[in-house]
Amino acid sequence: MKRRYAAAGLGLIVLAVAAAAVPGAVLGSNGATPAGAADATGAHTISVTVWQAALIGLGYYLANSPWLFGLAFFTLYRPLVAGFLVGLILGDPAQGTLIGAAINIPYLGFISAGGNLPADAGFAGWVGTTVALASGLDATKAIPIAFGLGLLGTIIFYGRMAIDSIFAHWADARAEKADIAGVALMNWLPGQILLFVISFVPVFLFALNGPTYVQDALNRLPLWTVNGLVIAGGILPAIGIALNMRFIFRGAVIPYFFIGFILMTATHQSMSLVVVAAIGLALAYLHLNFVRRPAEPKTEAAKAEADAAAEASKSGPSTAGAEPAPAPAVRLTRGDLLRSWALWTFFAHANYNYERLQGTGFAHAMTPIIKRLYTTEDEIRAALKRHLVFFNTEPNFGNVVHGTVIAMEEQRANGAAIDDDAINSVKSGLMGPMAGIGDTLSQSTITPILLALGIGIAGGTASGSAVPAISGVTGNVLGPIIYTILVSLVIVTIGYTAWMQGYARGKSFVTEILKSGAIDRVLIGAGVLGNMVLGALAAKFVIVNLAPTVTIAGAQLNLQASVLDPLFPGLLPLGLVVLTWWLLRRRVSPLALLAVYLVVSILAAYPFFGPGQKDSNDFSYQACTSSLLHQYYPCGAPPVPPGPASPSPAPSAQP
Amino acid sequence: MSLRLVRIDDRLIHGQVVAVWLRALGAKRIVIVDDAFARDPFMSEVLTLAAPQGVPVEVHGVAEGAVRLIELARTSEPVMVLARSPRTILGLRQAGVPIEVVDLGGMGSGPGRRRLHKTISVSPDELRELRELEQLGTRVEVQIVADDRPIPFRSIDSGN
Repeated sequence: MKRRYAAAGLGLIVLAVAAAAVPGAVLGSNGATPAGAADATGAHTISVTVWQAALIGLGYYLANSPWLFGLAFFTLYRPLVAGFLVGLILGDPAQGTLIGAAINIPYLGFISAGGNLPADAGFAGWVGTTVALASGLDATKAIPIAFGLGLLGTIIFYGRMAIDSIFAHWADARAEKADIAGVALMNWLPGQILLFVISFVPVFLFALNGPTYVQDALNRLPLWTVNGLVIAGGILPAIGIALNMRFIFRGAVIPYFFIGFILMTATHQSMSLVVVAAIGLALAYLHLNFVRRPAEPKTEAAKAEADAAAEASKSGPSTAGAEPAPAPAVRLTRGDLLRSWALWTFFAHANYNYERLQGTGFAHAMTPIIKRLYTTEDEIRAALKRHLVFFNTEPNFGNVVHGTVIAMEEQRANGAAIDDDAINSVKSGLMGPMAGIGDTLSQSTITPILLALGIGIAGGTASGSAVPAISGVTGNVLGPIIYTILVSLVIVTIGYTAWMQGYARGKSFVTEILKSGAIDRVLIGAGVLGNMVLGALAAKFVIVNLAPTVTIAGAQLNLQASVLDPLFPGLLPLGLVVLTWWLLRRRVSPLALLAVYLVVSILAAYPFFGPGQKDSNDFSYQACTSSLLHQYYPCGAPPVPPGPASPSPAPSAQP
Repeated sequence: MSLRLVRIDDRLIHGQVVAVWLRALGAKRIVIVDDAFARDPFMSEVLTLAAPQGVPVEVHGVAEGAVRLIELARTSEPVMVLARSPRTILGLRQAGVPIEVVDLGGMGSGPGRRRLHKTISVSPDELRELRELEQLGTRVEVQIVADDRPIPFRSIDSGN
């Protein structure tokens, strides 16, 4: 409870600071410099019309809704995809993609499990991109603002989780009347009306007024705070990357993270993420087949045991009917199974609530099965009530539970001695372990890796994402498109296979797949690929540039450009990421880290060492020699377009 | 004290546990105490296989579980203990397992159950058992995921 308010409160503070500081970017740069390079993009604003705001509100609603075959959570909800779509709506899809990609990085390690939401990535993506695009902010500045929005957005999720509990009781009342259609309706209609109101309205208002507010709240904050915001945009991604590292940066696959990082820095951030991923795939193959020690006990001795168990569990649901059953009276058709699967895939989370979590969704999915198998009112009522209880699993791999339960229902309807307890114990026993495996697969492995790939394709280079005007780099819309296609294919395939195999083979499928070691192979292979891509992403998006210079033998040398970078390019960002990972492992809260990093970033932009280079005609360059950290590129290195051309480490750019 | 976390969660091993808690605690072994599942070879097997590789899982009934946990509590191996109901934990406590804190991580709702906090609902019996645990000196807290701040049971138990 408290944490929730803390998150929302922190969100508000971040927003307030950002809103106050942002117009300074536009105003400050206009005022202070003739025509700063960053200013050229900074001044480009878009006014959001009522229709555009309505479309954006609708987009955010859809991102939380069941209507897109249950895939919205993996697609529209992700800032990468949201940014592209907001860009389409506002007429600049490339820039929208770039901003969305940047906003998405702190959410790479984003996981929602068991009705807990650390931050609303969807809100951050839809509103954050709108505000940034319409106010003419570049992608880096959008990161801290969107992060604040994401914390604020959790209010919508928790409000919905609380209120949706009521509708579960409405479904109970319909079940009491053996009203199959009524139960199905209660799972989606009231919940979706509520969701539409509480998601569409705030996003519509934010989209319509946010940018104007940001521009109008003429700020009196000095330029250095804006620089601080940009610095934060380079530092906050470390949190997202480290959050994700908690899951995959372990054991023998750790070195691949550094390989990915070094590949990227060695090519001056110019290597395509697709190439990194391809190298990662090759290394994953080698690792699985030649590096990894032949797996532990689970194989040999367990093999015979597995066969025995598979044999034994055949007496379970799938073949219980093989006992000379009195000629099967009712059989489920393939259509029933498909309808049930589709209903689940669409509506599993349509009425997600604290009391039952996916409980009403499960009952909704069972409606075609109940309709086929049971005829008397008593049977229907009992079946509906049986499936309206608390249920929660990972909605794709976890479908193995549904398949198994459907097979049990079918045998029960045909006279097998399966009581409520047997069905409940399979449901409640399997849903947890299957969620554990499913979440590990889909949420902590597959989605972040594909997202990292999509962001990498979308995002240009570090300097490019920060100063598109200098580098000429804008976002690549192929990033969100390729991500959406890949993630949809993988998720739907897992869900369908688990459902149908669960039905056909029941318990034996569960033990078999767990024993085969297939899941471990996938996870380890994904760990290799994931670490490579994550390392590359860290090199691309985590930016720490020291501003101070030292005078050695009469020459003014920048600490970073002349001392650290020649030694090990990207040493500071790498150090920051590993430190963040270590702190998270020590159970430091990510929210606390966010607050500290934000404050440190802004303070580090304060001109402790004097006024800086006022004579520079590039406003973003003025901080050199005056503050602790500097945005965009190391002082002393001229703003070169990214590419194979090495930025000259010589302090020649110093006037 | 090697019993790093003693958690009541009706889903036992699942996303929050595997993905977050295990790593946050650095636990190297999971002990599940559940009379019904200890007797069910299929569920014992699924639970054993569902944990990540390298983390052994044991499934025991309350009686053997208590003996095993007393033994484990003396070692330095970090252990995570999972159970589905307060009664199990009470049984362990009464059998002499040193449990300082018990974490309520997930207790689903149903007929006759009252919601205490988010996904934590209790039946009147469970409420009594939790209070009894507190009287025995075991702190009861709600902490759904590792990043949450623990909430003392006393502050959400309205007392009726």
